[in-house]
Amino acid sequence: MQLKNTRRDIKSIDLLPLINVVFLLILFVLIAGRPSTNHPAGLEVARSTIQSAHQGAALSVWLKQDDGFYLSDVKPVTLSELTDLVAQKGIAAQGLPLELIADRRATAKQLLAFRRAMAAAGIGEIRLKTELTGEAAE
Amino acid sequence: MQLARRQRRAGFMGLTPLIDMIFLLLLFFLLGSDFVTYGQSRLAPPRGTGGETSAAPPVVITLSADGALSWNGARVDAAFLRRETAKLTALNDEQMMVLMPAGSANVQQVTTIMDALQASGAQSITLERDVFDIDLADF
Repeated sequence: MQLKNTRRDIKSIDLLPLINVVFLLILFVLIAGRPSTNHPAGLEVARSTIQSAHQGAALSVWLKQDDGFYLSDVKPVTLSELTDLVAQKGIAAQGLPLELIADRRATAKQLLAFRRAMAAAGIGEIRLKTELTGEAAE
Repeated sequence: MQLARRQRRAGFMGLTPLIDMIFLLLLFFLLGSDFVTYGQSRLAPPRGTGGETSAAPPVVITLSADGALSWNGARVDAAFLRRETAKLTALNDEQMMVLMPAGSANVQQVTTIMDALQASGAQSITLERDVFDIDLADF
């Protein structure tokens, strides 16, 4: 028995709804997102429940999970080098704040060492970058 | 002389390059965007001007690596910390709070306690290694 050929002719698909939806998605991502902050790989900042605007600082220092300080993703720096850099840039003299982008798993010992070293360099205000969350980590 | 008017037929416009571009844009923004909201906690306040200092002595809060808290040497819980901080800051909004975390505590534990203090009204919070490091110029 020969079956009837049921192949249909493919008609052109209307692409306008697809384009509309994709444009809407682009708009959504543009409005809801913000440019990536480029944290070093694997760095997770501490979660906080306090709403505070994130402001820029004269210098950003990373404290990674390995308890090392970094000036960029791969450039390790010691506290004495940081102290020199702060003096060189005149950050303390201008009364500018510093930003510490610390991994939440790093130890408080390094936090305290940073605090002390920067206080000795004349820096008063240090801001710790946090990630705003509804549920505070206990 | 009358030239013959050539009428052009509107040709079919290929939409594939447009769709490719739009998908590339979508991918770019999806991968390049961050949906996390960032904030800042003050690890140390701006240095004071050396003027009047608060008459009230600072409250020293210690945090051990296992999360245990003490208030001026007495073991307390987080609820006590919030309650007493709220009471003190209601009386004096410049009440100094000194947080002394154990070296082996982690950054998240420190941030959580600083959040609790701030949520209870404390404005002058600083981190110190021990009581001998407290510098009133920091407040």
